[in-house]
Amino acid sequence: MSELSYIKRPNRGLKIYAAAFLTVLYVPILFIPLFSFNDSLYVKFPLSGFTFQWYIELWERSAVWDSLGNSMRVGVAVSIISTILGTLAARAITRSRLPGQNAIVAFVMLPLVIPGIIFGVSLLILLSRLGVSLSLYTVTLGHLVVCLPFAVATLLPRFEGFDKSMEEASADLGENGWFTFWRVTFPLVLPGVIASLLLTFTISFDEFIMAFFLTGTDATLPMFIWTQLRFPQNFPSVLALASIILLVSFLLVFVALWVGRLGLIEPEESQS
Amino acid sequence: MDVVDNLNAVRNGELSRRAFTRSLLAAGVGLMTAPLLPRRAMASNPDEATIFTWGGYDIADFYPSYIEKNGVPPNFSIFGGTEEALTKMRGGFVVDAAHPCNAGLKRWKQSGLFQPIDTSRLSNWGDVMPELVNMAENVDDQGTWMAPFDWGGTSITYRTDLFELEGEESWDMLWDQRYAGRLGSLGSGGDAWWCGAIKAGVPFKDIATDDAFERISAVMREQRPLIRLYSDDTTTLEQALASGEMVAAMTWNSSAVALQYDEVPVKFAKPKEGQLTWVCGIMLHKDAPNVDKAYEMIDAMLSPAAGQFMIGEYGYGHSNARAFDEFDDETLVGLGLSKNPADILGAGHFMIPQDQNWESRMNETFEMIKAGF
Amino acid sequence: MADVQMSSAPSARSQRPSGLRSMLYKSETARGYLLLSPALLVMVVGMLIPFTILIAMSFWTRDGFDFDTTMSMTNYQTAMDVPIYNAFLARSFWISGITTVATVLLCYPMAYYVAFHVHRNKMLWIILMTLPFWTSYLLRVFSWKVILGYEGVINSGLLGLGLIDAPLEFLLYSQTAVIITLAHAWAAFAILPMYVSLEKIDRSLLEAAADLGDGPARRFFRITLPLSIPGVISATFLIFIPTTGDYITPALVGGPNSPMIGNLIQLQFGAVNNWPMGAALSVILTLWIAAVGLVFLFVTRKSQESVV
Repeated sequence: MSELSYIKRPNRGLKIYAAAFLTVLYVPILFIPLFSFNDSLYVKFPLSGFTFQWYIELWERSAVWDSLGNSMRVGVAVSIISTILGTLAARAITRSRLPGQNAIVAFVMLPLVIPGIIFGVSLLILLSRLGVSLSLYTVTLGHLVVCLPFAVATLLPRFEGFDKSMEEASADLGENGWFTFWRVTFPLVLPGVIASLLLTFTISFDEFIMAFFLTGTDATLPMFIWTQLRFPQNFPSVLALASIILLVSFLLVFVALWVGRLGLIEPEESQS
Repeated sequence: MDVVDNLNAVRNGELSRRAFTRSLLAAGVGLMTAPLLPRRAMASNPDEATIFTWGGYDIADFYPSYIEKNGVPPNFSIFGGTEEALTKMRGGFVVDAAHPCNAGLKRWKQSGLFQPIDTSRLSNWGDVMPELVNMAENVDDQGTWMAPFDWGGTSITYRTDLFELEGEESWDMLWDQRYAGRLGSLGSGGDAWWCGAIKAGVPFKDIATDDAFERISAVMREQRPLIRLYSDDTTTLEQALASGEMVAAMTWNSSAVALQYDEVPVKFAKPKEGQLTWVCGIMLHKDAPNVDKAYEMIDAMLSPAAGQFMIGEYGYGHSNARAFDEFDDETLVGLGLSKNPADILGAGHFMIPQDQNWESRMNETFEMIKAGF
Repeated sequence: MADVQMSSAPSARSQRPSGLRSMLYKSETARGYLLLSPALLVMVVGMLIPFTILIAMSFWTRDGFDFDTTMSMTNYQTAMDVPIYNAFLARSFWISGITTVATVLLCYPMAYYVAFHVHRNKMLWIILMTLPFWTSYLLRVFSWKVILGYEGVINSGLLGLGLIDAPLEFLLYSQTAVIITLAHAWAAFAILPMYVSLEKIDRSLLEAAADLGDGPARRFFRITLPLSIPGVISATFLIFIPTTGDYITPALVGGPNSPMIGNLIQLQFGAVNNWPMGAALSVILTLWIAAVGLVFLFVTRKSQESVV
């Protein structure tokens, strides 16, 4: 970044705005852990005492862990599959001159521009006409449809962003396609792959609408939370679970974005 | 954590990218299996019976003898409302048993998804109150369709200190203009519409007539501007009453019980026109994969032990007469119950099962009214 | 997503032309399609086919538990005649529209700040801004219920400070609540595209303008703002579209006056039990979104041309 003093002139008003913005952004999130330690069934002010009981109760409620396990399994499956498909697609789009590729890309990106409820509803109709019973597999399919565009969107810039001559050099040196991919291309797009894995996992993990329409016996975590909203006895332990998930996802995302860097920063600014 | 160390190592050029990838893969594999391994013990077991029920009923206390015999509770699948449950099952979702309420009995039977219950296989059947067993549409030439489980009333829960009664308790309380914007109601037509019928003076046997629809619609439209919130979430209504945000709301008796337990000055009204009463129970799916276990499960639910939990903790009535023996009359009256369910059910208006067409029309009309049309 | 550039690669040298795989090796196009096929398969099965059936179903009618599959325009006719449906569509676009405008306006300065005024640890800031997005959507909405509630943070705070006598009732169970909650939930989607757009702006342009005597305001309005428009457009779409179909937020914090078209659609598949109507409403919603999107694109393209 060039040393242009006039741009670097600090703008106090903007700084205050940024601070206020971050505060408003975070306060609602931080209420979740706050109330998970609150000694009261009801989520309201003023706070009663401090307690760990909800966390202890959480440990014993198997339904909570079941739904968490379900969400994780679906999330991992969806993230791996969509990243693999996205990688293949991104490579195909950026390397081959495919007729109609703009249309194809637009088609794949369609879920980004159509409200989730329409997909949920359409898939439900399809599955019920086919007589396929609802299960975690149907939820996985629904999530795949939602996550694939994100995977492709994350990976495309990566594949475009690096020098194709490296691949050509590898080919010139006599390596076949697979080898070139593994030793040359893949390491260079790795940040994008990691970012895609984590992004799609997180989207699937938190996804509610598709799960709402497509869940069978085994609930995902958001579905479980939804059913628990009605029952005061169970709710605080759900908050406890959410706080734990919050912490873990904060760490995960931190790692992901740091490693992945999402192609947003100029190379000179990165450390390694 | 390994990943951070590896990150630093990559930064310092010590760890090659390939090795880093491998370590990530290992971590990823670890992540995937971690939730699976310890949870295997608690995961859905295909050999156990599955019950499709309301949230809050997925706890071991309702299935004591099942757990004694099998070591684990049955599998639970939760729904938020009977409509969603039926839709899902019609979409091909198969369970062993489900937990609908009597208003939907006719529709659920008509769906063709269930089989009659062989009551001879239930050891607790003899103690089940006959008034509940013989509710409309339940027993026919094919057998008994629903094993009654829990019952209770729907009425007005109101703040005795904030709501100024004019005369007797009455459904008019929820139409009281003085408290516009401070009234609440359960949002599902399955409760609200019937309460509207009581208010409009429409006898339940006539509820399927066009005249009934007109009169009840009129009454509900009148109420709409006064309602702060229609909610399917009892917690929200209870909290609103506790804080004073609402002064009266249409709820089930369990809400009044919960609030009284928290020492909020509320009363579950006995309106002069009569409460709304309901019974819910278990129906057996025709393709139940674990029929024997399902019977064990139903039997467990009908046991006095389960009943005592239901009455004591949830404040709902139970279908087994012996469950009431534990409680004295005073407690029961306080909960809005009695040892003789016929007293409560007879004094109130017992919902009469309707068919699917009525249900859809009612829901459609009510949703429009709620939307302001 | 805007700005995806298609580059055509030079065809790779043909590899060992042996046996069956020679065609694949020789034809870059065939290989390309092969690579794409799994992704396309998923999208066709998961999107195209269901959507086709959705459209087909919108022409059917309900018949007790099943469907009367004779094609008819009944549902579309009802949607046009019965006022509730158009009212819901209008309300949804209104709420989404205000949410989008509010979010974009409020997030733009933040994106600007990180793009231009943060010089170290930009990654950290980006992480900070997007992190809230990685929490459960349901619980974020629920948090707002706590904040805006009768005994919530705002009310108890204001009461405690003596600024009000009785809790503010309009905060919760109102369209205001829905807008606030949606704006908060989708803020990350607004910030990122606008940030990317602002970051890409060539600083030397600003430098040149400064050298030629433009003050900060002129520089902003003549250079920064127009060049960041693609990001603003992305942000607008990314917020407007999902929020029109949202039904969770109105259900939890909206009260009786806020249900949106998403709620109505969901009801058709639930309590009202009229799947064909739900399908028809979904199709109508999609068409409207497409129309609004095209109009918006057209208008902004025109205005961009006039800027140059």
